Amino acid sequence: MDAGNNRTGRIDFLAYGFIAIPVMAIVVFLFYPAALAMFGTLFHKRPDGGLAFDASSYIFFFTDPYSLANLMRTLWTTFVALVLIVAVNLPIALYMRFTRGWLASLIQGLALFPMFVPGIIICYALIRYLGPNGWLQSLLNAVGFTHYASPITTPWGPVIGLIWDGMPMTLLILISGLGTISDASIEAARDVGAGRLRILRSIILPQITHSILIVSALNFLGFFGQVLMPFMLGPTNPEMMGPFMLRTFVSVRDPLQAATQATITFLICSLAGLAYVRSLANRKEER
Amino acid sequence: MGIVQRRDVFGPLILIFLVFFIVLPVATVFLWAFAEQWFYPSVLPTKWGFRFWAQLVSRPEVWQAFLMSIKLSLTVTALSALICLPAAYAFARMDFPGRSGFMMSFLMANAFPRFALIVSIAVLFLTLDLVGTFQGVVIIQFLNTLLLMIWLPTAAFRAIPRETEEAARDVGASPLQVFWHITLPQAFPTIAAALLMTFVWTFYETEGAWLVGAPRIRTMPLLMMSMINNQLVVQYGAVLSVMLWVPSLVAIVLARRVIGGDAFAKGLGG
Repeated sequence: MDAGNNRTGRIDFLAYGFIAIPVMAIVVFLFYPAALAMFGTLFHKRPDGGLAFDASSYIFFFTDPYSLANLMRTLWTTFVALVLIVAVNLPIALYMRFTRGWLASLIQGLALFPMFVPGIIICYALIRYLGPNGWLQSLLNAVGFTHYASPITTPWGPVIGLIWDGMPMTLLILISGLGTISDASIEAARDVGAGRLRILRSIILPQITHSILIVSALNFLGFFGQVLMPFMLGPTNPEMMGPFMLRTFVSVRDPLQAATQATITFLICSLAGLAYVRSLANRKEER
Repeated sequence: MGIVQRRDVFGPLILIFLVFFIVLPVATVFLWAFAEQWFYPSVLPTKWGFRFWAQLVSRPEVWQAFLMSIKLSLTVTALSALICLPAAYAFARMDFPGRSGFMMSFLMANAFPRFALIVSIAVLFLTLDLVGTFQGVVIIQFLNTLLLMIWLPTAAFRAIPRETEEAARDVGASPLQVFWHITLPQAFPTIAAALLMTFVWTFYETEGAWLVGAPRIRTMPLLMMSMINNQLVVQYGAVLSVMLWVPSLVAIVLARRVIGGDAFAKGLGG
């Protein structure tokens, strides 16, 4: 590791050696397979060795009621979970940003706790807690409420699991965004008589649109392709794209159709991906 | 200090929500782990005990899966450190054209739906005969760790004041000595934390191992999954969770103390 302190503007060619392997790994194992999978779903080898354009796997996907139902279920779950995760976390983030004291620290500790719980354990916990004859139902029973309907294996099961899982990241990014708002600007607004809602709408929200955009894009990407939560907590028919791809590859053993499903997922998620990258780039420029 | 002052009803409401949404589900796992018998609608287990702990420990497939997971996690973490740490050093301390572009390309990997990427890699692995192999799972899980293992150590190297390194150079230390005695010790806590998190995350990585490893490679999370789904004994899932998760929880909490939440948010572009 010589050439350690280089401040002279001289180019460190050794640096290319250091970053070569990770960059190659990204190219060889991420970008190349993604491109290859997309290409492979549209062009098939002919017996004579040439390539023939063939979109039949896409025609199958978009005419197959089951595939389409899965896609719709995925979109529904993603949007519902996205709206709810922002609606739940924004008030908590605001509270954590503008309040000090033991209650705020306790809330912070609890809200970030899911970060330390691996997905498979979350699933188990939610099944035993929310499931039929689970602990929540027992507790509600004990206080006389007997009309509990379990969300597990309904479309709401994955929504709850995804919110659980995505909460810490969402909160951290929102809080980081709220951190850039100065107390002085809020004090000033209050001095001229602005109410809470008015401060929220006119001062806070405009300044954290970037964070909300990042949170929405990352969560969209995370939710859309989720496997574990929908598999463990959701219904099996229709199922979300994640379990659908997994089953198509592992059980049905149809890599072509699995790659087609993956490509469709790529295309839909590329909108969110683009929003994420653009907002990162804007951020860089601001700095 | 701001918006929420005076009579604060907002805080207690959030607290109640978090207790029902986060604390009680986690508590359920612990209750089941120590329950020998729990009939609905009893609010607490009807009989407590360790019977299922003993049963679980005597099952050979538990040990096989455990060893497989440890082996995978160690391999992936070592590989990731070997490949990523020099790159992190380069990003933090060296000047070369295209540096921010390359750094962006790592963040770009975030902009893809993870599982769709894994599926496309698996399709490629089919032609390379890597499906169902140890190596295949190692590659998938290694890719998973790239971002964390480059981003956190880069931040750690950057946080070291250059003056301390320059002072050592001025009194005649060689570049290698500077790195070994000045740079590395200061960056070490964060690097150790990143290694620890990589290990724990790899241990619990489920989807990649499932898609590429099935049916031959069986890791701990996959075993837990089949135990939960088959409903053999409800307690098995709970006991496994508590047994494996509490040690890793301690490790991750330690790691997070070093790193801090803001670093995470910034790493994702927040």
